[in-house]
Formats: sequence, C-alpha cells, structure tokens
Amino acid sequence: MNGNYELTLAVFYCQNVPGSDEGERRILEKKYGKALRLFPLPCSGRLDPVHLLRALEEFADAAYVVACPKGNCRYFEGNSRAGKRVGKTRELIEQIGLEGNRIGLVYGSKENPETLSYQIDKIRDGLSELGPSPVLKNMK
Amino acid sequence: MAFMITAEQKPVEEIREMIAPFKRILVLGCASCVAECAAGGQKETAMMASALRMAARMEDMDVLIEEMTIDRQCVEEFVIRLDDVIGSYDAVLSLGCGAGVQAVADMYQEIPVIPALNTEFLGETKGQGLWVENCLGCGDCMLYYFGGVCPLARCSKQVLNGPCGGSVDGRCEVDSEVPCAWQLIIDRLTGFNALDRLENIYPPKQWSKKQGKGPRKIIREDQQK
Repeated sequence: MNGNYELTLAVFYCQNVPGSDEGERRILEKKYGKALRLFPLPCSGRLDPVHLLRALEEFADAAYVVACPKGNCRYFEGNSRAGKRVGKTRELIEQIGLEGNRIGLVYGSKENPETLSYQIDKIRDGLSELGPSPVLKNMK
Repeated sequence: MAFMITAEQKPVEEIREMIAPFKRILVLGCASCVAECAAGGQKETAMMASALRMAARMEDMDVLIEEMTIDRQCVEEFVIRLDDVIGSYDAVLSLGCGAGVQAVADMYQEIPVIPALNTEFLGETKGQGLWVENCLGCGDCMLYYFGGVCPLARCSKQVLNGPCGGSVDGRCEVDSEVPCAWQLIIDRLTGFNALDRLENIYPPKQWSKKQGKGPRKIIREDQQK
C-alpha cells in the first residue's frame, strides 16, 4: 500500500463467490486485521449505494464489491445491477472531490473462477497508489 | 403504471453553494413521488446526507448534517412531524418537489428551505428507470378527441390538427427517438373506429386554464371540513 500507510478496505461480496464461506471470511479477517472489513451479501444485487458511502464516511479508505462473473449471476441480473449502482455512487463521490477509485466493483471470471481472497489481493494491488481518505483524516 | 411528479437531483456543487452559510442542516426526503423516481426518497436522502457530511469533513467544516424522510412534504399533516426537531437546525435541504419545498417553507417561516432537486414534469413510469412526460396538466383535457394520446405533450410541434407530414416510419422528424404522436393518434382512433373525430377542426389551445389567471388551485367544498 501507499508508503507506510495501510488502507482500510471495506469489501461487500456475494456469498456465491468461490472461497467466501464463513471459515474463509474468518481467515481473511485474521490475515488483514483492521485493514479489511468484510460484508457478505446473498447477492451483489442486494447492495445499496448507501452501504458504500457509509463505509467511506465511517471507517474505510475504499469500499469495493466483489461480484460473480458477468452473465453468471444466480439471480440473473444482480451483479449487473450492482455494477450500475457502483458507477452511480462513484459519480457522486467524484462530485464532492473524492477519487472515484475509492469505490469499485470487480467481477469474477467464468473461465477461471477466482476466490474471494484472490480478488481482495487484486483490489489491494490496484489501490497501491491511493493515499489515506481525506474524509477520515481527523478520525484515524 | 404510475403517474407522479418527476424530479432529478441538482449537481452537488450547486447544493453545496446554497447550504454553505449554514451550520446545522436537516436533509429532508419525501417518500412519495420523488421516491418513486429515485430522486428524493429515503435512500437518496441518506446518500445525499452522507456525501455532504464527507464533503464538509474533507474541508474541515464544522457542520451538523442529519437526515429524515417524511411520507409527503406537500401535505401539512405529514410536515408537522418536523415540529419537534426543526428547532435544532438553521436550514432544511429538501429533496421534495417544488410543491414540497414550498409547503415546508410555508410552515416554518423562520427557516430557509433549500431545494436539492429540479422538479421536472408530470410523469408516467414507462419502465424501470424510465419516466416520460405524457401530460402537461393543461386544465382542459382533450384526450377523448385524440384517442387517448395528447398531441400537446407528445407531439414535438404541439400540432392540434395533424399530422404535420414530417414523420418517417412512425417517428418524429424532430427527434427520431420520439414516436410520432399523430401516428399514434390515428392508429388508436382507427383501432376503435373513431377516426371521424378528426373531421373536426380544433382551434388553438386555450391556455387560460393552465396559466392565464396566475397560480391555479382546486377547491372542493365536499372534501373540506
């Protein structure tokens, strides 16, 4: 992560993503400690944009969604709806001057199913240039 | 299908400029029409309040921003729910329609009520996330004569004695995404054998019922106390 600062990442994930059962969640939380907060969802379509905003407002430097592969949602359209909501929420935070990539969504791959742990590493790598959130500067 | 007032949120920058002088702000949602069109319901109100709190914190501004949503901002019986809390704020940011903003302002004369939405039109919910204007609220409905399709709201040229001759494949020449209202009118009237209604010549619209005598009102004594 950026310099010596370790970002706090909030991850909302679909429970149909491989490697996302309770045991895996506990392992991930132990591995990352305060740098990771995990929020299981029955489907990424259950995501409400206010979940992402509240996470950024209260504790997270970035808030991401891990969804199933495109065209492979158990409930048909949940992941594509989540994608649209994330896009709209990104626009909102950009309007207040926050970097858009503090919010995001990653889809899995149909061909090479990726575990939640792999996706989280990928998100963290993608945010390596991101500094601490200016929203939380007086809170941490 | 549902009809309602439609609205869209103003840019956050414009909202921030309007609320800048205030230190204690109530972000007030409305759970009726503007909730249906996803502009000012409980969720949108929570999002707006959260975004404004974050923006204030980023600039080290000491501002209290809280949120609340009432069932209707345009009906006094619902607005009085604010009586107990309004004294804690020095401004209200309303995510209601223009009628809601004014109804709240009317009840609390000493508190500025700031609009967070641009009220758009009387809309029909055509599908998920799609609202269209099919009625101008002209005060003198002529839908009977035109087979249930309003040429004033739906014809780009507001032609009352159409068609204009410019449509192509049932699409308007002004905007090819708009179905030609006169094609729809003729199709509808043909469908139930009432094309003869178009043998009348309709004179220019009398707009006096919409805006000729200042603000409109409806008085129904049978509905009053």
